[in-house]
Amino acid sequence: MLSPEQSLAASPPTSWRGRLVERLCGDGLVLLALVGWWAISQHLPSYLFPNIAAVFEAMMQLLSNPEFAVHTATSIGRIFFSVVLALLIGSMLALLPRYLPTLGEFIHERVKPLLNSFPSLGWALIGSIWFGVSSAAVIFIQVAILVPFALINISEGLREISTEEQEMARSFSRSRWRIFTLVILPMLYPYLIAALRITYGVAWKVSLVSELFGADRGLGYLLMDAQSNARIDLVFAICLIIVVFYGLGERLIVDPLSRLYRAPSC
Amino acid sequence: MGGWTAHTLSFLSLIGWGVAALHLPDYLLPGPIEVARQILHLLGSPDFLLDASFSILHIVGSIAVAFVFGLSLALLTHFVLVVRTAIYGRLNPFLASFSTIGWVFLAVIWFGLNDFTVMFVVAMTLMPFALSNLRAALVELDKEMIEMGRSFGRGRARLVRLMMLPLMVPFLFATLRICLGVAWKVMLTAELFGGTSGFGHVISRARANLDTPTIFAVIVIIVALVYITDKFMFEPLNLRMRRNYAVA
Repeated sequence: MLSPEQSLAASPPTSWRGRLVERLCGDGLVLLALVGWWAISQHLPSYLFPNIAAVFEAMMQLLSNPEFAVHTATSIGRIFFSVVLALLIGSMLALLPRYLPTLGEFIHERVKPLLNSFPSLGWALIGSIWFGVSSAAVIFIQVAILVPFALINISEGLREISTEEQEMARSFSRSRWRIFTLVILPMLYPYLIAALRITYGVAWKVSLVSELFGADRGLGYLLMDAQSNARIDLVFAICLIIVVFYGLGERLIVDPLSRLYRAPSC
Repeated sequence: MGGWTAHTLSFLSLIGWGVAALHLPDYLLPGPIEVARQILHLLGSPDFLLDASFSILHIVGSIAVAFVFGLSLALLTHFVLVVRTAIYGRLNPFLASFSTIGWVFLAVIWFGLNDFTVMFVVAMTLMPFALSNLRAALVELDKEMIEMGRSFGRGRARLVRLMMLPLMVPFLFATLRICLGVAWKVMLTAELFGGTSGFGHVISRARANLDTPTIFAVIVIIVALVYITDKFMFEPLNLRMRRNYAVA
């Protein structure tokens, strides 16, 4: 699947004038959306559609007011922890058949389809039943939702490492650890980054459902609370702040990591 | 060898589940036999089958909406290049990072608890997936084939209908497959919070009654449905398509 950035790069830009018009169109859409929002909020009651100022104020509260910021910080912390844990578990599951080939079918034909087709709400319910209301429940649910995405991407990458390259590596050294760190890991790096990108995105998008059941803190919890108290400005603010954090994390963490290492052939 | 290991390990996992369930109360972990009994009970109940058909309806409806909108936007961008940044640089990243539960709560406030809310939430979640994939399909189109098509007629609608869509079939199919997978994952959430029918509704009732066996049973039924559609519908179709279109 192409990310939006990749698909943009796929067709080269035309003249500078064309690029300018394109840019204006893009920013025009954002402006249009803001104007549309303002117009709708003038006509609809504020419990259905809040005005821009109220939502902006609520967003600021989410960042600065300690009472709200604690939810934001908790969600961010949990997501980072779950993404790292899911990537570790996903890589382990993907690497296992490489060293124990008899496990290959079990992992790819049984574990992977099961995890992949498990509904996220299913994990959310099971996690909250087993672990009650706690951070452990939230992390369990998020990791369970994220692991299949990591597993699929990393095993896809492992499939790309041909037996010939491995054989070459083996002819230079017998040490499995050296082969792993010097050949397999660098070749796998782009796929690890792709897995990181996808799990990070899914974490913000889908796995916040974990905080609806298994938490007394976090943006998911706050979202449900805001909805039941008819604070729609807060609902809007939380949705938008998630969009902001998602973008920031991708720019500040995922993109630099993906530039960190490039295979010489690229 | 691998097959036997897989069978043995799957069987051992079931036994492990059974043993763990013996030591834990039913509301924490119901055993496999209890869950199997509940599955049979559910499959025999007309109420449950009605809910199941509502869920399938939600899925088909939302995929159709996401697909039509995604395809229209992708084709629009293909022909009107200046909107490219607007669609792929602004709209798609926004949709791609908008949280599903955010859509759920907004939709509940706007539209109330009904089938429309459920389909709206699932369709909004699917849109960025559909859009990115259909964009990829248009990028990969064989330029020379399109040029040939253009040399036979200037009509854009004809070009789309007779050349582009048929060339895009393998990608449309892949998009459908991805959408279906994501839809099943998020639909329950949408139904539980925003709907009054479907599997999510069954789970919601079971949760209120602390009926964990039913929750497990519904999850197993969903996993089985996803697995069966993927294995027995999409995989054979995919193989046939590969032969017809000779794509890797």
